[in-house]
Amino acid sequence: MFDRKGIGMALALPSALFIALGFLLPVAILLAASFRNPAGIGLGNFIAFFTDPLNREVFWRTLKLGLAVTAASAVIGYAMALAIAGLPRGAGGRLVGLLVLPLMISPVARTYAWIVILGRTGIVNVALKSLGLSEEPLRILFTETAIFIGLLQLFLPLMVLPLISALENLPADVVPAARVLGASWLRIFLAIILPLTREGLVVGGTLVFVGSLTAYITPAILGGSKVLMLETLMYQRVTVANDFLSASVISVILIVMSVATNALLRKLAAGRSVAHA
Amino acid sequence: MRKLSHAVIVLVLLFLLGPFVIICIAGLSSGETLAFPPPGISWRWVEAVFAVESFRASFTLSLLLGVGATLAALILGIPAAYGLDRYRVPGGGILRNVVTAPIVVPGIIVGLALLRHLLVPLRLPLTLGLFLGHTALLIPYAVRVVSASLANLRVDIEEAAILLGASRARTFFLIVLPNIRAGIVAAFILGFVTSFNQVSVSLFLSGPGVTTLPIDMLFYMDFNYDPSVAALSALLAILSIIVVLAAERFVGLSRYV
Repeated sequence: MFDRKGIGMALALPSALFIALGFLLPVAILLAASFRNPAGIGLGNFIAFFTDPLNREVFWRTLKLGLAVTAASAVIGYAMALAIAGLPRGAGGRLVGLLVLPLMISPVARTYAWIVILGRTGIVNVALKSLGLSEEPLRILFTETAIFIGLLQLFLPLMVLPLISALENLPADVVPAARVLGASWLRIFLAIILPLTREGLVVGGTLVFVGSLTAYITPAILGGSKVLMLETLMYQRVTVANDFLSASVISVILIVMSVATNALLRKLAAGRSVAHA
Repeated sequence: MRKLSHAVIVLVLLFLLGPFVIICIAGLSSGETLAFPPPGISWRWVEAVFAVESFRASFTLSLLLGVGATLAALILGIPAAYGLDRYRVPGGGILRNVVTAPIVVPGIIVGLALLRHLLVPLRLPLTLGLFLGHTALLIPYAVRVVSASLANLRVDIEEAAILLGASRARTFFLIVLPNIRAGIVAAFILGFVTSFNQVSVSLFLSGPGVTTLPIDMLFYMDFNYDPSVAALSALLAILSIIVVLAAERFVGLSRYV
């Protein structure tokens, strides 16, 4: 750590100014617009937004899908992370590489694959028909189920990776010790593994939940024009109706949910390490 | 227990990676519409991808944007990470928060805000908006990856260089920069991939003649149900896999993700 204050400041200032002027300022103006209505400044636009049943439906659907995807990825994520932790080190490392790989591939490409799988002439329907299970093609595409599957595939690695590193930091002898003392696997998970890997769960949970709330590609491709989430609703309001007011209201809702989730879960993680100390 | 955990690993990998295999096969279809299994195998839709004029234009734009925005983010982000890590900066906490702020702002908001409250009032072109938005989005990644590399570099060697009479700039370019080279390469690859795959920031910053590749794909699939998007998706996936494997081999990319 060097003491010459001016130098550090001069090094950090260009990017801080770049972001403040070229990024934060326009965003702040956009957000501020949502509080201005004909009657003055207040929450009128938000009340009007939530009075519309369609908007309410989209809001609840976004929240519901976010929670469902986070819960499902936590369950699958623990199963996967525990399974990988049980492997020899080299094999585990290669599997981590396979989990990172999909994160680098275009989400449009990753999501489009589900059109091939879930569509009317896709694998699922062809299989159902050839097995004689269903005459009519099943309608999976353009439903909440399709969005759920798409989001889960997109974000699952973001849950598994932090859980794997949390499990790596688990002291090696606690689980065998509990086992010798007669604890059941369920009890070991709830009383030992879960509390000791909570930070990994919090990091993964934040990434998956915020990622799902603010997803655009998945509902745009797999939800169609009927099954909207907040971002697709926002895009539709602007491009179809030139409705910039709704767009700025939705922006505030998205930012509040994103920042609140980050802050709340960070507090949860911090509260735990304070209690630990 | 062992059998169960192997089954979990196989099923999860099938769920995560299986769709790529399927999209590759669907892209090699000889039929007119998207179907699986395809009626036959041919290269016609892969060739069709290269014949679509708008795909060529948007691919070029995405490539230039990815390289330009990543370089700009590194040029701004490397000094910021170094300044905030190695020097006591008054208000350093606030500066760090400003520099990493783009991470918590959903991309679609950035696009609309830049369009409505920067480009339109100042009559600036859409391409500049794309460049600004992508650069701002990538700065936090650049700062984070470079900070992680700096944390592994002992301060003593810098102090030694300064004690032996090197200037601070000389110390930075001759001692620090070569030592964090791998981190910078990793940051470049991560930044480029993030920009190249970016949709939500670019959504409102696209217009006639100015479209990035992923946005172009979204528009194309709205009006077409032929296998060319599947073929293009497969090509992009294969390209990403090659880049990632090369990066993993040379700089150990997964340490920085």
